[in-house]
Amino acid sequence: MKFYASWSSLFKVLAFLALFCCLVNCGSINPNLNIKSADITINLHSQITKITNKLIVENKGQTVVSNLYFTLDGKQKEQLSYISALLRGHGRPELKVKKIKNSEINKAYPDKLFYSIELKDPLQPERTVPIEVEVVLTHELIPHPKVILQKEKQLVKYLGNLYLFSPYSVNKQTTTVILPSRNIENYTKIKPVSQSDSTISYGPFDKKGAFSQEELIIHFENNNKFLTVTKLERTIEVSHWGNIAVEETIDLLHTGALLKGSFSRYEYAREGKSGQSSVQSFDTVLPAAASDIYYRDEIGNISTSHTRIKKDSVELNLKLRFPLFGGWKTRYTIGYNVPSYEYLYNLGNDYILDMRLLDHIYDDMVVDEMTVKIILPEGSNSIKLELPYVSSRLPGSLQYTYLDTTGRPVISVAKKNLVENHIQNFQLKYTFPKLLMIQEPLLVTVALYLLFLLVIIYVRLDFSIDKDEISESKLRVAGQCEKILAAQDRRVSSYNELDDKLSYLKTNKDVNAYLSAIKGIQQEYKNATAAVTELAQKLKGEAGDVYDRIQELQKHDKALKELYNQQQSMYIDKLVPGKIGRQQFVDAEAAIAKKKEEYVEKINNVVKSLQ
Amino acid sequence: MTLEIENMTRYISPINPTVFPLLALILLGIGIFFTAWFFVYEVTSTKFTRDIFKELLISLVAALFSGFGVLFLLLWVGIYV
Repeated sequence: MKFYASWSSLFKVLAFLALFCCLVNCGSINPNLNIKSADITINLHSQITKITNKLIVENKGQTVVSNLYFTLDGKQKEQLSYISALLRGHGRPELKVKKIKNSEINKAYPDKLFYSIELKDPLQPERTVPIEVEVVLTHELIPHPKVILQKEKQLVKYLGNLYLFSPYSVNKQTTTVILPSRNIENYTKIKPVSQSDSTISYGPFDKKGAFSQEELIIHFENNNKFLTVTKLERTIEVSHWGNIAVEETIDLLHTGALLKGSFSRYEYAREGKSGQSSVQSFDTVLPAAASDIYYRDEIGNISTSHTRIKKDSVELNLKLRFPLFGGWKTRYTIGYNVPSYEYLYNLGNDYILDMRLLDHIYDDMVVDEMTVKIILPEGSNSIKLELPYVSSRLPGSLQYTYLDTTGRPVISVAKKNLVENHIQNFQLKYTFPKLLMIQEPLLVTVALYLLFLLVIIYVRLDFSIDKDEISESKLRVAGQCEKILAAQDRRVSSYNELDDKLSYLKTNKDVNAYLSAIKGIQQEYKNATAAVTELAQKLKGEAGDVYDRIQELQKHDKALKELYNQQQSMYIDKLVPGKIGRQQFVDAEAAIAKKKEEYVEKINNVVKSLQ
Repeated sequence: MTLEIENMTRYISPINPTVFPLLALILLGIGIFFTAWFFVYEVTSTKFTRDIFKELLISLVAALFSGFGVLFLLLWVGIYV
């Protein structure tokens, strides 16, 4: 017990210390930290700026350092899309990067952006740690000239910082700029500098102080896709019948140099160099399990698109309705289904949806504004969303589609300025009672049943002004006749059964078995006869002729029954004890059978007349 | 208890999606049969021969089968309700 208590108190002290350290660190820039060397790679190959900073951080102080700062110029706030850090070395583990807000340091340097990188293992005094910080910025490449002809190539200008913008002094650094082509109009020439093919290398530079800046301007040719998704609406609809439907509505804008003059299709088709910067098609990578893919725009389906099924993805080659030139835009919808087992996990009534918040649209994409809507089945509750990065959660709403009553809960998330690095999974936890799935078919069933009830009520309504007595009486008589005929049917089946039993008795000669077997049959027969008599009484006043016919029927039936009784007594009294000769028996039976047939004929005639 | 994906199983539909067409056809077939019987009965019977229990029973069976049949038809054509 004591052991336990001492441990917990030690933890408390440690936690307090850690918190204290953090507070101290957060407050100011540690002067003892130093960047021993920095290798900066600015990749301007596509429309986005990818800066990889390979740093070796050195701790010159006496205390242990657990986190360090990375800074960006405040002007880059709008352009900054993604920042991540990792430890160079075995396994390249990812490091936690957190933006610092409302801290002392923000007040001291209001025009700078501070990010805190949490080291995996605290940095001991006199030791170094190699880290890599990746920064992705969008809309930094400005077309220059802003307007070009169809046949002209696209030139863009990059404006950046040649040195590492760091809160710590940098001992040694180099900067490498990677460009898409060797056509470079102009670039900042600060020695030492060298250009080889499509790469410009600066440095190594000597020791530079904190926050050192030197303007870096590069004016070069870049005909790669300058495409921006100005608005992306992604809808994920979960159905517990085993499907997840994804639909994306994409507003696309070519953000390269604007097209001057009119577009010539002839030149575009004839000359390979024409419209180099335009975008004719691109590839969208969908999940491997995607099926029922559709692609349409405002006017309708676009069929000039192809899917290629790969090992781990479905690649969709989208050919837009028209090539996109600078300043042109388009809007289309793409959708597909994926089976639920790919992304939905279940335990009892609890579910977790583990899916990409943003998915691939085209390589090196830029998404200005994204809205993700996740539609859950009706009746889901206790919804908890875990996002991979900071995004704004919009107020929840309800969606009504097929077979909904209370509406499906919709979870909406919005985020601005996204790139490929943002393709990460979110987790949505919710509870859904399984029994609620039966609600949908029951809804249809109830609706149909109400329809049938309406019919049942409708046929009972009588809108006629005067009552037609004659036809009414006819209908009533017909109804009674139907019931009488049903009773007659029952009698006929009684006779058939009786026949069966009699023939059995003839061969078997077991009187007791026979008597007990026919008890039920006799009862059935009596009931049916009584029913006929009763129904006939009702008809007496209304339809005399029908009544007479029924009386006739009863008379014949009685006679027929009498014949059966004769047959039965002949069997029991004479045949079974053996008091009758063979020839005699055959004759007597034939006579009875003949008479029976006569009466059956008569009965059938009456029945026919009643129908 | 916190839920983790590691402890959970992948969710599959209680009814295999490949049998949706078959279920839709069978259930709707039975449903249509009973619906037809119901309407034939309604049209041919007069107010003296009508039996309310028979009507209610046939229509209930028809509604049940058609209801489930319609659901699977929707699922079959891709309207995942």
